[in-house]
Amino acid sequence: MSRLGLIIQREYMQIVAKKSFIFTTILLPILMVALVAILPAFLANVKSDEKKNVAIIDNNPGAVYAAAIQDTEDYHFIKVNQSIEGTELYSYFQNEKEGQGLNAIVQIPADLSTSTTFYVYSDQAINSTLERDIKNALRPMLEQERIQSYGIDSLADIIDRCKVSLSSKSVKWGEEGEEKVSSAMLGEIIGLGLSFLTYMFVLMYGAMIMNGVIEEKTNRIVEVIVSSCKPMELMLGKIIGVALVGFTQIIIWAVLLGIAGTILGASAFIAGPTDPAALTESNELAEIIQMVLSVNYLQILTFFVLYFIGGYLLYAALFAAFGSAVDQPSDASQFMTPIMVIMVFAIYAALFSIENPDGPLAWWCSIIPFTSPIVMMIRLPYDVPFWEMLLSIALLYGSAFGILYIAGKIYRTGILMYGKKVSIKEIIKWIK
Amino acid sequence: MFIEVKNVSKQYSGHVALNNVSLEVPEGSIYGLLGPNGAGKTSLIRIINRITHADSGEVLMNGKVMTDADITKIGYLPEERGLYKKMKVGEQIVYLARLHGMTKQDAKLKMKEWLERFELTEWENKKLEALSKGMAQKVQFIATVIHRPPLLIFDEPFSGFDPVNAEILKKEIIRLKDEGSVVLFSTHNMSSVEEVCDEISLINHSEIVLQGKVKDIRQKYKKGIFEVNLTDGTTFEYKVPEGMSNHDAIAKLNEEYDLFGFHEILPSMHEIFVQTVSE
Repeated sequence: MSRLGLIIQREYMQIVAKKSFIFTTILLPILMVALVAILPAFLANVKSDEKKNVAIIDNNPGAVYAAAIQDTEDYHFIKVNQSIEGTELYSYFQNEKEGQGLNAIVQIPADLSTSTTFYVYSDQAINSTLERDIKNALRPMLEQERIQSYGIDSLADIIDRCKVSLSSKSVKWGEEGEEKVSSAMLGEIIGLGLSFLTYMFVLMYGAMIMNGVIEEKTNRIVEVIVSSCKPMELMLGKIIGVALVGFTQIIIWAVLLGIAGTILGASAFIAGPTDPAALTESNELAEIIQMVLSVNYLQILTFFVLYFIGGYLLYAALFAAFGSAVDQPSDASQFMTPIMVIMVFAIYAALFSIENPDGPLAWWCSIIPFTSPIVMMIRLPYDVPFWEMLLSIALLYGSAFGILYIAGKIYRTGILMYGKKVSIKEIIKWIK
Repeated sequence: MFIEVKNVSKQYSGHVALNNVSLEVPEGSIYGLLGPNGAGKTSLIRIINRITHADSGEVLMNGKVMTDADITKIGYLPEERGLYKKMKVGEQIVYLARLHGMTKQDAKLKMKEWLERFELTEWENKKLEALSKGMAQKVQFIATVIHRPPLLIFDEPFSGFDPVNAEILKKEIIRLKDEGSVVLFSTHNMSSVEEVCDEISLINHSEIVLQGKVKDIRQKYKKGIFEVNLTDGTTFEYKVPEGMSNHDAIAKLNEEYDLFGFHEILPSMHEIFVQTVSE
């Protein structure tokens, strides 16, 4: 095996064999799913355990409003058949707090069709769900009352028919002018997902490279290694080894996602036909499927991988170079800050580009090498002119290799430089 | 000559680290590089093993200018020891051996052999951070010599070793020389120089101030002091007066005392070092 191969192998094995890698790769997604799927159910259980008692005092004749309010998941309503007002309200609450375990009083003082205000009294903070539940219970009744007050037959139907709900379908022309249903939302989801994946990956693994370089330097192992291979080999080996770790992680996640998707899809398919709503919407379902299929995944995947590798190389080289210039991780922050600023800018540019994927911000940021791996992801689901793609990728790889070359020079000097705080100015000197 | 350093100079941002340094290391020898801290020893070593490059001058191996390809022929033990703390002892030695061009099988075989020699066999599958400093030093030494390079460079090999382990190390260095390696090492440990080195260069203020065979140097620096033993068991030092030959001096001593024996005291390398450096 070549020396570069050996270094790559060592870097890879060192990280993959670690417990923390196994934890983040396999247990973390499971934990996330558990958190998303089980926690809400658990919290719902905790909540419904304790029903709160609320007294309703309806001063209207026949207590018509109180009759319309039914117990909900969270509240048990006690209807009080007497009119209590003013200071008596407080003493009543004090008494019943002991007696019935009352938490609040809802007072409906007047005809709601004219005054529309009710009062909630309590000595505790009042949960907004109480107000919401009461409003939801009373609104249909009040609306009905008003409609009837106009004395027009079938007014309710007329109003229903007047409601307009707009929906949109985007149709994208193919090369031959054939029509395909596409979805702007799907494009956004894919674009944003890839953007964040690139951002997270570069940051996470970039930091890993930097720490690895600093560790080798402080351990002084680097002097032994560079007496048997070129510093550039060591740096490249580290960058490639860590990249392979990242790919391993992504592949494991993709497989897990695939398994989860298959299970979910299968269960949805089995449950599907028994659900009458799904049957009537089978047309829409077909459209959704067409939409999902209309995206050119192969093209997106190919370009994603290209940008991903290019962006990773660019930033990894910077992280390695800066790591070599410091003696300990705590000194690295002065160099981390500029990288972070650029990356955060890129992710914001990506977020703003969603609304206008063909606008000038999106265009420039998807051409400039430092932001293109992140921002171009937003534009990928929409057809980007081929020459723009070519220009952007050429610039990205050109600068990635340029920076790798420069980083190699910084690295070569930096790893053997001890006990001295290095400034950017000095680093520039090393490049020459 | 195995290694020839010819007129090497090196500057670091205005500070001269080496000024026109030349030396020759013969085949099958142990060569000592002496000098006070900061004299330029490590700079010279880093130039020989091609970690850094000389501003001027050249380094030849077997008569040819050294290239990057020659680094596999060198085993280097740096002054600041370092290994991967989280890596297992055995894995680490095999990794470094393979970086130096050994095959996996060969590296494993030799690793086990060396661990046994240094009584470290039971530590093979322990992480390095579990080892004591002395044991880690031995592991580093093994990693330096395992690929049997024709040239071994040790920067302060004895620092950090207790006297017992320093003795073991000395024996191993001599054994490696007997098996055909050329050893070049820098040290402050002057007794090891007398016992181990064939030739030395003394560097002070970036320049070579003393060079040659250890025997010759000690002869050159002798001050005509003899240790005289008498038959009654007393021992004293006697300095031959200026202008008198050793022969006459002994004849004179013989007249005055019942001589049992006498021999000339050669100055130790320690004395020569201190004297030369403080001049």
